[in-house]
Amino acid sequence: MVPIVTRWLLALCLIGVAGRTVNAEPLAPLLKTLDLRGYPERAAVPAFSGGTLEGHRLSMADHRGKVIVLNFWATWCVECRSEMPALERLQREFAPRGFAVLGVNVRENKDVIARYVKQLGLTFPVVLDPDGKINVLYGVIGLPATFVVGRDGRAIAFAIGPRDWYGAAGRALMQALLDEPAPGPGVR
Amino acid sequence: MARKADFKRFEGLGIQNLGVSANLTFSQQTFAESLKLPYPLLSDFPERKVIRSYGVLNEKTMTANRAFFLVDPQGIVRKKWIIENGTTTVVYGDRLLPEILEVIGKR
Repeated sequence: MVPIVTRWLLALCLIGVAGRTVNAEPLAPLLKTLDLRGYPERAAVPAFSGGTLEGHRLSMADHRGKVIVLNFWATWCVECRSEMPALERLQREFAPRGFAVLGVNVRENKDVIARYVKQLGLTFPVVLDPDGKINVLYGVIGLPATFVVGRDGRAIAFAIGPRDWYGAAGRALMQALLDEPAPGPGVR
Repeated sequence: MARKADFKRFEGLGIQNLGVSANLTFSQQTFAESLKLPYPLLSDFPERKVIRSYGVLNEKTMTANRAFFLVDPQGIVRKKWIIENGTTTVVYGDRLLPEILEVIGKR
């Protein structure tokens, strides 16, 4: 029994549902400018593996040691479309330094996704999540939702809704994270 | 999220809202932030002890069925509302409140 002795308690059991978060360390001003929610301590990101548009398997572990921007999106999401060009620019500028944008498309048909990706000229990998399992794993209930992950594979911050990822603060954040040392061999 | 809108009303009655699910704290954080929930969510992952002990574990999906439990200050469950599986209907405080008031004697 839950030991609540001073107050009545209404406990809800929820199918999908945390804790308070605060901005973190010297990155805080950048997180604030971008209106990102920082994790009080860098949080281990849930592991997942999914198929890509090209038919490969992709997992977060494949990108260990990189700074990752993990973006959940869908073609019907107007706000997702608005931030796609910025994500693509980030990918093109920072990929050579150990950076990756990973898109997770939520519950859409492969052909629909492929047309959209071609139309917008996206070059970053897109993981398909046809049954929404990755979506649930990350607690995403609205799009776009974006998680920023450091070289140590731990999440630094997340955003619900679109952001100016290629603006001055976005680029400065990625630069700062890329300047952090990569974990040694065997360190997740 | 019905409970968010009703939060002040429950708070005024001395009722603490808590959410429990079988999700990771990581996903709960995203969920809570998305909805700007004003009350805590508790992760019962991976054991699902609380969910099971309250009898609302869906063994097939290993998730919690939707349910509400009213627990008194002595830790006794005084009322429960089990929402039928697959129901997506939002449960508003308007439905729960009269029954809660009756149980806590503030009618």
